[in-house]
Amino acid sequence: MSALLEKLSGYRATRLIDPFENFVGPLYEIGEKLARRYAFVVDERHVNMRGVIHGGMLMTLADMTMGQAAWDACDHADVVTLNMQSQFIRGARLGEIVEVQPVLTRRTRSIIFLRGDFMVGDEIIFSCASLWKILGQD
Amino acid sequence: MVNRPAGIPEDAEIASTGGFNKYVGPLYRLKDLEDGAVKRFAFAAAEQHMNGAGTVHGGMLMTFLDTSMSRTSRLISGANGTATVSLTCDFVAPAKLGDVIESRVCVTRRTRTIVFLSCELVCGERVLMVGSGVWKISGAEE
Repeated sequence: MSALLEKLSGYRATRLIDPFENFVGPLYEIGEKLARRYAFVVDERHVNMRGVIHGGMLMTLADMTMGQAAWDACDHADVVTLNMQSQFIRGARLGEIVEVQPVLTRRTRSIIFLRGDFMVGDEIIFSCASLWKILGQD
Repeated sequence: MVNRPAGIPEDAEIASTGGFNKYVGPLYRLKDLEDGAVKRFAFAAAEQHMNGAGTVHGGMLMTFLDTSMSRTSRLISGANGTATVSLTCDFVAPAKLGDVIESRVCVTRRTRTIVFLSCELVCGERVLMVGSGVWKISGAEE
């Protein structure tokens, strides 16, 4: 457990607004806007019967972290998810830390393209590519 | 008979028996359509499922879609375990508090090791999300 805390040193808790995100959180972050890295600790709530993180939790984590980056990329305008493509490469187990640094692929006037490789240590466990709509922009 | 939320049939069976599904649930299995070709599941959107804008969080919709499709992959393959390899979700329309959200899963193809599935989430006849994905049957040869 001390190794876990050591790994999270420097991280701060992300301010979560959505009830569902608070229900599955916390989420941690480090670094400045648009170069921010997120960390998530897999606990008993997030796993299936085999002790492996649920695919739905990984996609929720993707929606949370890409959503934070999308929000940062459009100066906190309202954004909604349009599409999420997910690849489940390996599992993450109870007690492991999943980290991601969202990558802004492109931002147009109304659409944001974001992707992310989710890591446990040096291994990619999950990968996503997502599209976001900036509301009120044609 | 166990109490069901409004809009969930009394005879619907609980599909969330443990782990993350139970934590975010209850999720229910509904009767098949079209002689078993369409598998159906449902949940009632509650406070903990929402986002700050007052609609159901995308993570919850994707979780419900994944659970519906994963369960279907096991039902049609007879395998004890299957794993999601790839899943694509389109967010077509929002859902709100109290909505009963239903999934309808169809099998596109099943091989010895792989299941291809598609799924729609609907509220009434309104489509909320469409998904397609690939499942690996555990224990089948690589």
